[in-house]
This record gives sequence, structure tokens and C-alpha cells, in this order.
Amino acid sequence: MSAVLLIAVPLLAAFISILNKKLAPVLLLLVSLFNIVSIFFYSLGTITIGGFEAPYGISLVLDNYSLIGLIVINIAFFLVLLISYEKVKKVATVLLVALAGLNGLLLTGDLFNLFVFIEVSGIAAYLISTTNKKYVATFNYLVIGTVGSSFYLLGLIILYAMVGTLNMSDMALRISSEGISAANLSLPFLFMFIGLGVEAKLLPFNSWVKGILGNSNKLVGPMIASVYAGTISLVFGRILTSVFVVSDRLGLILTVILLVGIVAGETMAFASTKLREILLYSSIAQASLVIILFLEGITGWAVMMVIANVISKLVLFAIASYTSDELKTDEVDNLKGIFSKNKIIGVAFTIASLSVSGLPLFMGFVVKMNVLTSIFDGEDYLLAAVILLTSIVEGVYFVRVLIKLWYNKEDAKTINYNFVIKYIVSVLAVLLIVFGTYTTVLNDQVETVNEVFEIGGNE
Amino acid sequence: MNFASIEMILMITLASGVLAYLIGKLNAKLGSIVTILVSMYVTIAVIYFGYNGELVITTEYLPLVTFKVTNIGLFFASTVTFVFAMVSFFNPFFIDKYKFKALYSMLYIFSLVGILGVFFTDNFMTLFVFFEFTVWSSMFLIPMGKSTKSTTLYFAMSTIGSFALLYAIFLMRSQSGSFDIDQGLAMVSGAKATWTYILLSVAAFAKLGAFPLHLWLPKVLGDAPDPVTAVFSGGLEKLGAFVAVMGLVRLAPVSFNIGAIDMDFARYVIAFIGSITIIIGTLMAIRQDDAKKLLAYSSMSNGGYIIVALTIGNGIAISGALYHVLAHAIASAAAFLAIAAVARKTNTTKMSELGGMIHNMPITYMVYLIAIISMAGIPPMGGFISKWMIFQAVINKGLPIIAIGVFFGSIGSFLYVFRPLAALFLGQQLPEYKHLKEAPFFMVLPMIILSGLIIYTGVLPNYILGKINEIVVDLGATAVTITEYTITGFNGTIHPALISGMFGVGVFVAFLIFITFKKSKKVTLMDTYTAGEFIYTEELLHYSVDFYAPLERLYEKYIHIMEKTYDSIRNKIAEVGHFFKYYFFTNKPEVSVFWIVIIVSLLLWGESLW
Amino acid sequence: MLQYAAIVLIMLGLYGILTQRNVIKIILSLNIMEIGLNLFIISVGYVTDGIAPIMTTNHNTNSLIYVDPLPQALVLTAIVIGVGTTALGLAIAKNIYSKYGTFELDEMEEE
Repeated sequence: MSAVLLIAVPLLAAFISILNKKLAPVLLLLVSLFNIVSIFFYSLGTITIGGFEAPYGISLVLDNYSLIGLIVINIAFFLVLLISYEKVKKVATVLLVALAGLNGLLLTGDLFNLFVFIEVSGIAAYLISTTNKKYVATFNYLVIGTVGSSFYLLGLIILYAMVGTLNMSDMALRISSEGISAANLSLPFLFMFIGLGVEAKLLPFNSWVKGILGNSNKLVGPMIASVYAGTISLVFGRILTSVFVVSDRLGLILTVILLVGIVAGETMAFASTKLREILLYSSIAQASLVIILFLEGITGWAVMMVIANVISKLVLFAIASYTSDELKTDEVDNLKGIFSKNKIIGVAFTIASLSVSGLPLFMGFVVKMNVLTSIFDGEDYLLAAVILLTSIVEGVYFVRVLIKLWYNKEDAKTINYNFVIKYIVSVLAVLLIVFGTYTTVLNDQVETVNEVFEIGGNE
Repeated sequence: MNFASIEMILMITLASGVLAYLIGKLNAKLGSIVTILVSMYVTIAVIYFGYNGELVITTEYLPLVTFKVTNIGLFFASTVTFVFAMVSFFNPFFIDKYKFKALYSMLYIFSLVGILGVFFTDNFMTLFVFFEFTVWSSMFLIPMGKSTKSTTLYFAMSTIGSFALLYAIFLMRSQSGSFDIDQGLAMVSGAKATWTYILLSVAAFAKLGAFPLHLWLPKVLGDAPDPVTAVFSGGLEKLGAFVAVMGLVRLAPVSFNIGAIDMDFARYVIAFIGSITIIIGTLMAIRQDDAKKLLAYSSMSNGGYIIVALTIGNGIAISGALYHVLAHAIASAAAFLAIAAVARKTNTTKMSELGGMIHNMPITYMVYLIAIISMAGIPPMGGFISKWMIFQAVINKGLPIIAIGVFFGSIGSFLYVFRPLAALFLGQQLPEYKHLKEAPFFMVLPMIILSGLIIYTGVLPNYILGKINEIVVDLGATAVTITEYTITGFNGTIHPALISGMFGVGVFVAFLIFITFKKSKKVTLMDTYTAGEFIYTEELLHYSVDFYAPLERLYEKYIHIMEKTYDSIRNKIAEVGHFFKYYFFTNKPEVSVFWIVIIVSLLLWGESLW
Repeated sequence: MLQYAAIVLIMLGLYGILTQRNVIKIILSLNIMEIGLNLFIISVGYVTDGIAPIMTTNHNTNSLIYVDPLPQALVLTAIVIGVGTTALGLAIAKNIYSKYGTFELDEMEEE
């Protein structure tokens, strides 16, 4: 078996699902499950597509980096499907395409192929977001997404003209062997950065997020905020660590932009009063932070942070979107005390948000501590200070929300959460605690990830 | 399985926290009784094994956690766990008032776990983990009380403190190369030492509730459930003192030396802030109507004493500070518990709504009396000994400005600590409270134990001072000269037992006078003021309303300065958020495109300049 | 020369997206930008006097200059994707119209 099945099977199923609408959701679940199971049977290595050897043909790279990503993203995808099964029915075909696109993004070792998968998963995302019934927001997303990916393509073509290859590892090799200066690379790099930045919710390129996630239902919320965001972050990580060497000056500029993104994200979340808005702005800050970590070369822990974010955002957005689907409001003041009647949901939400704000016993804390250790090892005191200061703001708005959602003076509104979401969020919350206390697993994974880039990456 | 190992104690406590939750689910009262058993167990284990030198520090099950028993850790741990144990007796009586009863018991025990971890580790990372653990487990105790508002404030201030601590930890690590506490503090040098000094001070300030991070203290202590209040003031606050010892005593900042007093500038600034803390705490305590808030501000000013003493850093000062930690912990725990006992019966802690409780609760009254005598620093209570030592140190060092604060606080405390005494317990009994009885035995018991300790620390301080001397030597200062009954300061020797004896004679004489002379005549509340007229605003005529109005008028304009500052900081953050929202997040597709174009062109333009 | 034309088209497209407030016009601008981009891709592979990169019996010697075939392959994909996006955009535009009765973004009342 070859890892290409991860992409091919969902695509094939997508075509089949058009034939029988009723079967489509079942097929979707089966394929998603098949993907999860099959990941564990593939052997690591590069898969050549169509018989053309690596620099000439398209290749898929299954190394420890993409393996971790595939496991996390496929499982998260499956869980989102379970949570939002009744919404899934209408868009089953689209979700199959999305699954193919996401796996492709993680697997591909070719920059143009990456563009194709960005577009495939992007178009799927536009279609998924139409289930919000906010068409202007979706249109917004479409326009910005298309402009972004066009920029990516533009940068890619300039790069191709300069280097003459599209294969990632070949590109990295040629860049170093032909001595192309970092200054020359900065233009195409910048274009590609912007293109990916749109999808990764980086600050000035992300006005679509509010429309999409701010009105998200229980399918769109976790899907875009957790699964998509995680995938794009990992793609970003691969490009930043194994293809480009960012020049110091450009790196500085980007870091500053990203830091502004963190500050903006946290302050906007602080200034918001709606549950989903708070979460979406907070995830903007998280996304920027992850990219900074990749830029700084703290790859292993950045991956762990992505995973922590995938888990906790899945819980948070699933609960927030479910709640607002039921109550038709997500104004925090209108939701006072809802957790006191739904303890399991409340505890899961609490754990996830405490993990995001980095309190001990939870995964977020372990990740944050190790990230800070690495940052201090790099003597980047300002960055550490900004991260800590924004964390204070972050913790404050999360605690504010938590207190409001747990305590109430009057009668709280009642919501019936179905048992699926209860089980899933509690399992994920337990997972956050397990990773938060049993840290050896994380350390091992970080080492395997770091090894990937020491061997195949640029030096 | 070694039951004297810290790891074992920790894990048993943690497990029984979960157990308390499960039992509490079945029966809330039983769950809260578990908290008593557990905290008693921890206290006894820590004190018994600790002072017999039997505590084992090896870890078998917990990864990456290392323990170490130091004299200072043991001192703090026994003080704080003792306070936890005493307070826990109150839990069963208050548990019915909480919204999440089982959770309360669990978090109460979890905070205890955090405390233990902080005091018994030699590793900064472990310390920080437990520090934060304490923060979040105690944080969720607060909203179960009167109001949920102060929780966020507590979290914000605590997090400022913890992150300052974290930053300091990493600064030290960058020089020592490890998270080891002793190495870190010993090897940090140069500008980094000064920064570490400042950051550790911030951490200590945030936890102790010192100016300018004091705002949470009165709010949290005013809002939190009554037993939790005692834990905060007597226990959790002391985390700050622990960090302060680490930073203020064991680090030497190198900014520049002030020649006249032979003191480093950074050190002087911290001492100065300490004395400001004393003054503000005192002034604010004077004008409170809520007895719990009053005591909260008094806790704040007592935190100031600890800071001032620690910055001076010689033997007398350090032992004064440490003794003050102990004396204030038990005194404030006793005082808060006494008020909690009253509040449980009357459901209010406002002084203007209470009066004459001495007729109902004479023992509680005595407990409160003893506690405030200690807090005001009057012999023969523990607070006197510590304050005497701190005064000695300040005078000897020759710090006139700081001494003003220190003495002001001492005199000011006379003004405020007796107000709750007069308003709550003395004065006329209110008709609606006539039928109330003394608190149940298991509430009285811990209060009596605490009072006994307060007197013991005041009469025979030498055994404990001997223990403190070991810490002082550990910290590299000279031990205080103590004999069996005397303590020698810079300008003389005191004899606490003798003073207490004199005091006892005085009380006895007063008592004789009291019983031989004619009894005072009792008047009812309404007799005093009404004179036949109908009164609409009866509560304004309560004598504790505006008790110190002329004094308060001097500074009442300025009391909200800090609150306003924090409000404006909060508003500024929100404003920045709105700004970004306005410029980046509209419903128009062109906004992002616009920013893309702007960034690209700016960078291209910049590139041509490179 | 071709590059300049392509860049001008991309700029035009961007200008359109920035200034137009009509859903259809924005989609058109997107298209213009994509066409410019596609032109740019082709121009990268262009070699003066090169011939089509097809192996035939007439041209089977290595001395001949081919244009780079890869960009041509890429541009095909890009065009297809562009068409897909445009179709999706128009579908959304239709939904917008049936919901609000207008194509003008300014005339829609959404939060």
C-alpha cells in the first residue's frame, strides 16, 4: 500500500458519492475511517507518482513530520464529522474532496502540487462554509482565498524561473548549491508567504475569518478553525524549515508582522463579547505564534503546538458552535451559566481553554514551557516578553468567559448536547491532560520531527 | 512505598482531592470532611517528618519533578499547611452555600498540593508548575463566594506575577544552564541579576498583594467564600513571601550603590515600594466598612513589612520577616475565621450591620481580640516580636523615609484593627441577632488552637526563632542572638516572657477593677439616638459608619487612583482590539487585498533600499 | 515584453478587486488577475525562436531550442482551477442575489 491512497481513495469516493446522494455520508465516514486506519500501515519514504523520478515528477513525501500531521488531521477530521453528522449530509462530496486536499497538502513534496491542493482544499472550504448560509462572508473568503493562492502561484513561478525546479528538497539543494542569495529569494518567498498566510489566518490577510468563523455552525467551526488551520500551519512549517532560508532582515520584518498579529489577535479577543469571536481572534494569535516558531526554527515544538491547537480548538469551536446553533446567540452574556447544567461539556471547555492559555496539567502548558525554553536559548528576550504579555491578556479573557459560563444569577438556558459531542470533547479533554502530564511522548515526537529536518533539510 | 517521602504525600493528597470530589458528589458534607482529614494529614506529616529530618526526597513516579527539603521550605510549608488544616474545619459548615460543592473540596485540596510542591523543590520548573497549579485551583474557589467579579482580576494579577517569575527563571537559566534553584540564584550576574531581582520582586508583589499589584487582595478577600478568605490571607499569600525571600535576599542586584546608606538602588526602590504598601494598606483599611476587606488591606500592609524587612537583609531583618510570616499567617487566619464564624450566623460582614456579637459569641470575640492584638503588634502576641525585630533592623540601617512608613503602619493599625472589634463584637446588640448562639465546637476548636499559638509565639518565641536562625544561616546572614528567654536586637535585648508577665499582671489588675466596681448599665440600641423621633435611615446612625471621617477626608480623593489606572489599562487593551477589528475585519473583501498590496509594495520599496 | 503585459493585467485585476463593489465585477477582476498570472507563467517558459516542446519526426535533433514545457503544463492546471473558482464564485453570486436581490455589496444589509 502506498500513501497515495490517502488522497486517491477520498477522491474516488467523491466521484462515487455523486452517484448516490444517500450513500454519500456513510461513504464519507468509511473513507475517513479507512484513512485513519491505513496511516499506520504505510512505510516511510518518498512516493514517486507516474514513474518520473524525484526532481522531474511529482513526489509525495511520507516522513515523520507528515506522518504526525496525517494522524492528527485525519483523526480530527473524523471527529468533526461525527460531531456534525447531520450537517455533513449535504456536503459529503465536498468533504471527501476536502479530505483529499488536506492529505495532499501534508504529503506533497512539490511546490506546484501544493498549489493545486491549496486550491482543492480551498474550494472545498468555500463550499463547506456555505452551510453557514452567510453568502457574502463566503464570497469574501473566496475572493481573498483566490487572491492569496494567486500570489502563491506568482511567487512559485518566479522561484521556478530562478531555480528551475519545483520539487521541495531539490529546490532547497539548488538554492544552497547555486548560491542564490537570500535577498533575491525574498520576493518570491514573500509572495508565497502571503498566499499561505491568507489560509493560515495571519493578520493583515485574514479578514475572511470573522465572517466565516464568527457565524460558524458546528461543522464549519471545528473544521476550519481546527482541521484546516492545523494543516496549513504544518504546510507552512514544511516550507519554512525545508525549503527556504529566510534572510535575517526579512525574517525580522515577518516576525514583527506576526508579532503584531499576536498582539492584535489577543487584544481583539479581549475586546469581543461573542463567544465565537473571542475564539476566532484567539486562534488568529495562535496561528501567528506557530508561524513565528517555525521561522525561529523551533520546529519540533511548533508541531506540538499545532497539535495542541488542533485538539483544543476542536473542543472549543465544537462546543461554541453547537451552543450557538442551538440558542441562536453566542453573546457571552446571554449564555451565562450554561455549563452548570452541562457539566461534562463545561469541564471539557474549561480544560481546553486552560490548555490554550497555558496552565499546568494540560498540554498547552508543556508546549508553552518548552517553546519558551527554546526562545530563551536563542536569546530572543523581546519575543519571549511579548508572548508572555499577550498570554496574560489571553488568560484573562478566557477566565472571564469561563466564569460567566459557569456562574449565573438567574436561570440558565438549557441545551441538550447530544452524546456524541459529549464523548468526543471529553475524550479530547482527557487527551490534553494525558499529554500535559505524561510528557515523554511529546519529547519523543519532537525529537523524531527534528531529526527529519536535520537529515533532509537545509543547513 | 515510603510514607515519609514528599512524593508520596503529594500523590496521596492529589488522589484524595479526586476522592473528595467523588465523595462530595454523593454527599457534599462528607466531601468537605475529607478536606479536613487530608489537610490534617499533610500538616502532621510535613511537621512530624520534616522536623525529624525524615522526609525523603526521591521521586519514583512523577517525571521530571525533583524535591529538596530546605529549612526555609519546611518553615513555609509547615506554616501554610497548618493554616490550611485549621481553616478546613470550617469547610463542612460552609459547604451548603457553594454552587459546586464537590468541586470546592477538590480544589481546596489541590491548592494544598500546589503549595507543597512549591515549597519542597530544588527545581525552578517544578516550582513554576506548582505555582501555576495553585493559581488555577485557588482561582476557581473564589467565584463560589459572594461575587464572581474579582476572579478575573485575581487571575490577571497572579498571572502577571507568575510570568514575571517565569521570565526571571529563564533569565537565570540562561546563565546557570539549568533550572536548579540554588545554582540559578548563585550564578546570575550583571544586568541580568538586576532584572531577575526586579522580576522576582514583581512576582512576590503580585502574590503578597503589594502596591501596585494589590488591587486583587481586598476584592478577592471581600468576595471569596469565608474559609477561602482565611486560606488566601494566611496561606496562599505567603507564596509571595517565599518568592520574596528567594529574590530579595538571595540575589544581589547591581544597579548602583547609594553611598549614604550603603544600599543598592534597586533594593532601595523595592524597600520604598514596600513602605508605600504599608501606608496604602493602612489608609485603605481605615476606611473600609466590610470587616473582611478591612482585614484584607491589613494583610496588604503586613506584606509590606515583610518586603521592607527582606530588602534590608541582615540577620535580624530576615528573622523578623520570617517570624512575621508566621505570626501574620496565624493571626490573620484566626481573625478571618472569627469573622467567618460571625458571617455564617448573620450572613453579612459589614460592620455597620452588626454589633454586640460578644453576647452571642464570646469565644469568637476572644479569638478575634487576640488575633488583632497580634496584628497590631502589641505584646504579648507574636506580631509584637516580629515587628520589634523589623523596627530594629530599619532603625539600625538608617532608612528614615522607609521608617516613616513602617511606624505609620504600626500606629495606623491601632486605628483600624479595633474597629471591627468595636463594631462587630462590642456595642449594642442588634435585636435581629439576639437569638444567635456561639459557633459549633468544631469551628471554635481551630480558632482556639490558633489563638493559643498566637500567644505562644508572643510569649516564648525562642524555639521558633531558633528554627528561623537555621534559615538565616542558610541564607548567609548572621544568626540572631537568642537565649532561652531573650532576643538581642541592635540596641537592646527583650524578654518576651517578662513582658507578657507584666502584661498579664496589668490585665489582672484591670480585671480586679472591673469586678469590684459598679457594673455598667445596658441600654438598647434605639435608646441612644431616637429620642422619640422616627428614624428613616437607621443604619447611618450606627456608630461605625464614617468612623474616621475627618481622617478619611484627607485622602479620599486619591483612593481610586490605582483602580482607575487598571481600568484604563483594560480599556486601552480593548481599544487596541477595536482598532484592529475596525481596520482589518470588515465585511468587505477588498480589505485583505488592500493590506496584501500595501505590504508587498512596502517591502518591495524597502528591498530597493537594502 | 510579455511579462510587463502580464504584470499590468495582474495590477488591473487587483485594482478591480480593490475598487469595485459589485459581486460580478469582482469576479471579473479576479479573472483578469488570473489571466495575467497565466500569461506570466507562460512568459517564464518562453524562449526566443523556440519551438513547441513536442517530439516529432521533423524535429528530433537536440540542436533545436524548445520552449520550457513545464510552465505550459502548469498553466493548464492553473486555468482549470481558475475556471473552477469562477464557477463557484458565480454560484455564490447567484445565492447572494436570491437572498438580497442585488449584486451591490453596499446595498446588502448584513451585520
